[in-house]
Formats: sequence, C-alpha cells, structure tokens
Amino acid sequence: MAQGRILIIDDDPDITEAMTVVLENRGYEVAGAADGSEGMEQLKANRPDVIILDVMMRTRQEGFELSRELKTNPDYKDIPILMLTAVKEKTGLDFKPTAGDESWLPVEEFLDKPVKPDVLLEKVQSLLQKR
Amino acid sequence: MEGLLESTSLIRRAYWLVGLRWVAIVSLAVATFVAQRFLHVHLPATSLYAIAGILLAYNFVLYDLLRYWTRGGKEASPGRVGSIITFQISADLLILSTILHFSGGIENPFAFFFVFHMIIASILCSKLQSYLQATLAVFLFGAVASLEALGWMHHYDLVGFAGHGLYTYPVFVFGFLFVFAVTLYLVVYMTTSIVAQLRLRQEGYERANALLQERQRTCELANSQLQEKDKLKNEYVLRVTHDIKGHLAAIQSTLDVVLGGMLGPISEKNKDFVGRAHRRTIKCLEFISALLKLTRMKLTGRLAAEPFSLRDCLLNALTLTQNRARDKAITVTHRIDASIETITGEAVLIEETITNILFNAVKYTPEGGKVSLEAKDEGHTVRVTVSDSGIGIPEEAVLHIFEEFYRAENARAAERDGTGLGLAFAKQVVERHGGRIWGKNNPTDGSTFSFTLPKATSRGQ
Repeated sequence: MAQGRILIIDDDPDITEAMTVVLENRGYEVAGAADGSEGMEQLKANRPDVIILDVMMRTRQEGFELSRELKTNPDYKDIPILMLTAVKEKTGLDFKPTAGDESWLPVEEFLDKPVKPDVLLEKVQSLLQKR
Repeated sequence: MEGLLESTSLIRRAYWLVGLRWVAIVSLAVATFVAQRFLHVHLPATSLYAIAGILLAYNFVLYDLLRYWTRGGKEASPGRVGSIITFQISADLLILSTILHFSGGIENPFAFFFVFHMIIASILCSKLQSYLQATLAVFLFGAVASLEALGWMHHYDLVGFAGHGLYTYPVFVFGFLFVFAVTLYLVVYMTTSIVAQLRLRQEGYERANALLQERQRTCELANSQLQEKDKLKNEYVLRVTHDIKGHLAAIQSTLDVVLGGMLGPISEKNKDFVGRAHRRTIKCLEFISALLKLTRMKLTGRLAAEPFSLRDCLLNALTLTQNRARDKAITVTHRIDASIETITGEAVLIEETITNILFNAVKYTPEGGKVSLEAKDEGHTVRVTVSDSGIGIPEEAVLHIFEEFYRAENARAAERDGTGLGLAFAKQVVERHGGRIWGKNNPTDGSTFSFTLPKATSRGQ
C-alpha cells in the first residue's frame, strides 16, 4: 500500500470525489477542498505531501494565484503541485512545460481534465518519489 | 479634352485660353514677318505688330487677373471666371476681325481661323453662348467685308497674294459670307453635340464611380459587422464548450471509478453498459476538445512563431502514426528532403496538423494499405504531402472537406466517429502560417493531402 497524504483543491465535487476514491483505493490519505481559502485551511491543519490543484475555480485565475502563493511561501514551497488543465487552458494545446515556463507557473506537473485513473496514480507516485 | 469638361474647374479652362493666346500672338508676328519678308506680300506690318503688342499686354493682364483671383490656392467664383471666358472669346473675335481688316479683309484666307474660336467656344461655353459667339463672328467679319466692299472703310490690298479688287465683287462677298456663316454654325452644332455626349458620358462615369465607392463602403461595413458577429459566436462557442467539457470530465472521472471496480465489483452486464456510456463520453470529449481547440485558435490573434525543427515535428508525427498503422497492417513510408530542418512557426500547431492528416490517412485506409509522407524543399516554402491507398474523396465532397463539421459520405460510412473538425483545424493552422492546404484523389486509389508552409512566417493572421 502506497503512503502519503494528498490534498485535492477543486470546485467540482464530483471530480474531487472520483479522484478521492481512486487515490484512497491505492492507500493514500485524501482530503478535499472546494476553493483556495478552504485549501489553505486544510494545508495549515494537516500538511499534505502532494497538492492536486484545479486551475479554474470560482475565477479563471484562482488556481494560478494559489500556486504562486504556495511556491513563494517558505513553509509550503516544497510541496509538489499537480495542476489540472493548466497549459491546455491557456493555449488550447497539450504539451509539457518547457524550462522557461516553470518561472511562469511554478508547478511540478500539468494534466488535462479528465485524468485517467492510472495516469493520476502514476503522476502522484512520481511526485511523491521526487520529494 | 476630357480634362476640360465638367470635372475640371473653370479656372483651368480660362488658363487654357490664355495659353493658346500666347501661341496665337507669336504666330501672328511670325506670319506677318514671313509674309512680308519671304513671300513679298505687301502688308501694313506696323499695324499688325502693334496689334500683336496690344494682344500681348492684354494677355498679361488676363494672366495676372486669373492669378490674383486664385492666389493662395483659393477657388475663384465660377460666375466671375465664366464671364471672363465669355469676354475673352468675344474679344478674340474682335481682335481677329481687326487683324483680318489690316491684312486684306475677305481676301485673307486666315478668315478660317474663326473656326478655331468656334470650337473653343463650343468646348468651354454653353450651347446658347456658342451660337451667340458664332453670330458675333459672322456679324464682325461680315461688317469688315461689307464696309470694305462698300468703300466705307479702307481696304488693305494683299499685293502679291490676292487678285486685285476681288473684295468689291458683290457675288463673291455675299457667297463667301454665306459659306462662312454656314461653316461657323455647323462647327458649333457639331462640336457642341460631341462635347455634350462626352459630358454625359463623363457624368455617367462619375455617377458609376460614386455608386461603386458607396457600395464598397457598405461592403466594408457589412464585412466588419460580420467579423464582429463571428467573434461573438466564437466566444459563445468557447464558453459553452468549456462548460460542457467540465461536465463531461466529471462524468468520465466518475465512470472511471465505477468501471475500475474501485467501489466494489459490478456485474458483467452492468460493466458492459457503463462501458458503453464511458466510450461515448470519450468520443464526446474528443469532439468538444477539438471544437475548443479550433475556436480558441480562431479567437487568438497571433501565432507564437519561433524557429523549430520541422524534421523533428514530421518524425514525431510519423512515430505516433506508426503505432496506429501497425494495428491495421498499414505500411507507412516517408521521404523528407535532406535540406529540411528549421523553419519558423508554432511547432505544436504544425505537429498536430501533420498528425491529424496522417491519422486521417490511416483511419480511412483499409487493412494492408499504404500511407506515405513526403516533404519537399521548395526554396522559400516547404511542401508536405500525405498520400494513402484509402477510400478517397467523393467528387461532391472535394470542395467541402475543409469546412467545419463536414464529413464526406464514405468517411461517415467507414468510421462512424469523427469530429469533422480535424481538417478545419489543419486549414486554420496552415493559413495562419501563410501556407495553403488542399486535397485531391489519386488517379488509381486513395487520396493525397498537401500543404505548404513558408520557411519564415511573419504573418499574424
């Protein structure tokens, strides 16, 4: 059984719960938050090992803003972030961030929604190992 | 001559007359000199030179007057210039009559020069004014000839040119004046008719021109309104598809959980039906994603163009295609010119376009068929051609295959799923880069799709 605590911040409860089932099935401990501020509360209460963050929540920018906030905060900057629908939302295309892009959006991984269960598990596992 | 018609200002006509007069003055002086010196014709040369001098002074005054009226580029009043034109022509008739009086009267063939004045009047003045000028000319010249014939006015003999006393023969004088008058009126009649036709035609041109400009403005306006509406439509489509995509993503994620048995085992029958729903969701998502991609592209103003390796793009697309082709035992071959390397453009878009076209070729080619890619260096451009041994394009579909949502009859039959957006996307990408894309049937079987890309793209649209 895999070990680790995952925080999912997404305003779509169906997606959050589906991912929760997938991740819990693999043995991860999962917490969900519906928006940025709830996410911050969860972070403070119980520090996760990986954050899964939806880019578009109440506003188009909420996910981006939260990721920047986390990466500039010394307490949280080491927590890897898996961002959903990041680059594709911006350019309409599916591609990996290049070296230059990391300063633009400080997250470790991008995935387009919907994420297949095996892809999700694989990414989470690789992020946990990177830590 | 058209320049002297309605479209030009009166002032230019007035200047034209002044210009002609300079020529007339010089000609008068030269003719007098030549007639006297070389033809040995007896002439009152002093009087004629004096007339040339007066004419010169008169023309200078007119020239300065015109300049004074139009100084600083301002437009002289049409009434003023119109009356000075009428005055000039009348004065010229008087001067010509005077010159003729001093040079043999009716015996001087320069009397024909009245014809020129009639032509000028017919071009510059109204019909009525022209006939009045003709009447004035007939009156003035008739007066000179009659008074000389009657002996009431001195007659200057053109010794060495005309027969002696001809000017006193009543039949000659009467006949000459009659033909003279008829000639002048006929000239006025003919010239004014021609000029009227020309004016009419020119007015027609100008009206047509104005109408055309009006139409063009209307078209431009309609076009910009259309573009604005198209943009609104695209923004609407973008919003709608984005929302639908969110829901579809949630459906797929939940179905993934059920199908994966993560909530406990499900019966085969349940699994079959949930699986069907799952597959349809995937197809729907593919469609929505393609529509989103195309719409975003239409709404984005510029390309993020930078140098990239077209060779790598082609090889990546080929690798992806090989995997699909293997399942259908389709042979994929390629020939890329050695000189094809770096071009300027948006690499991801171009790779996706090439992949789209290659995937199409595999999709619509039966098992065991052939797909080939060729990339040719054509100097400033690169031409990429994908040929297959597939089902081809029906005659009636050739013109429509690049339209959004269009799918040819045989393509539908061969492959039920398909967005009808792949080639529309490819066309957008290629045209944004300043290239061209087209598809046609092969002589034997299958079809060929080609597109060109400039090596250096600077176009933003």
